[in-house]
Amino acid sequence: MTETELIDLLKKRDRAAFKQIVETWQGMVYNTALSILQNAEDAEDVTQEAFIQAFESVAKFKGESKFSTWLYRITVSKAMDHIRRKKRKKRFAFIESLYGTNDKMVVDPPDFFHPGVSMERKENAAILFKAVEQLPPNQKTAFVLNKIEGLSYNEIGGVMKISDSAVDALLQRAKGNLKKILKDYFAMMNKG
Amino acid sequence: MEGESLNKKIDEVLNSTDGIQQAMPRPFLFTRIEARMQEEKNIWSRISSFVARPVVAFACVFSIIIINAGVLWFSDISATPGTQQAPEIATADEYNQVNYTLYDFENAKP
Repeated sequence: MTETELIDLLKKRDRAAFKQIVETWQGMVYNTALSILQNAEDAEDVTQEAFIQAFESVAKFKGESKFSTWLYRITVSKAMDHIRRKKRKKRFAFIESLYGTNDKMVVDPPDFFHPGVSMERKENAAILFKAVEQLPPNQKTAFVLNKIEGLSYNEIGGVMKISDSAVDALLQRAKGNLKKILKDYFAMMNKG
Repeated sequence: MEGESLNKKIDEVLNSTDGIQQAMPRPFLFTRIEARMQEEKNIWSRISSFVARPVVAFACVFSIIIINAGVLWFSDISATPGTQQAPEIATADEYNQVNYTLYDFENAKP
C-alpha cells in the first residue's frame, strides 16, 4: 500500500491504516521526542499524543509536504508543549516547597543516556545532551533534527517552516553555543 | 586542559552522536494509543482537561473582574446625590424631625 493510499484510509478513520502508520513511524516520532525531552517516559507520552493528534487532524493534511515532515512538525510541537508544561509544574513545585506545602524536593534530572549511542561514546554523548538541554528551543530542535535524525537543511526547513539559510544560521548558532557551554563545562571540571 | 586538547575534547563530544541508532518505544505502542483515545473520549476527562487549560482559567478570572467592575460602575451611576437625598427628606418630614438651632431656643415664644 502506498503512503497516499494509507493517508486516504486514515482520513476515513480506518483502524488498520492507523495501526500501520503508527508501526511505520513510531521509531521516528519516539526518537525525536526522546532526543528533545531526554526522558523515556515523557517521550512515550509525547509519541502517543503526536499520533492521536495526527489521527484527529489528518483531514487538514493536504499533501503539500511529505507525511513524515508533517508528523515531525506535530512531534516537535508536542515536545515543546511538554517542556513548557513541565517547567510550569517545576516552578509551581518550587514555590510550594518554599511555603512548605510540598515535601517533594525539586531535583535536577540524572544524566541522559540515549539507547542508540555506542558504549564507547556514551559518556561524551551524555555530556553533549546535557549541553543541548541548555540551548534555546529553536536551536535545540534544529540540532536534534540534523544531528540525531539526520535530516537535511531543506527537510528541517520544512518541519520548522523556515528557509534553508535560516536553518543554517540556527545550526551555526547552536554549534557556537554548544562549544561555549562545553568549554565552560570542562573548565569547571578541571577546577573541581 | 590545554587549548588544543580542549578543542579536541569538545570536537569529540560534538561528534559523539555520529552513527547513532534510532531508539524505539516499548512494544504494543498502538494498543496503548488506542486505550488512551478511549479514555479521552470520556466526557468528564474532556471537560476537566478543557477547564484545566490556562487560557480557560484566565478567561474565567478576567470575566469575574469585568463583571465586578461593571457592577461597581453602574452602581455609581445610579447612586446620584438627588435620588439619595429624596428618601431622607421624606423620612424627616414624615416623622417631623426638625434640627433646632440656638436661635430657636433663645427666641422661643411663651
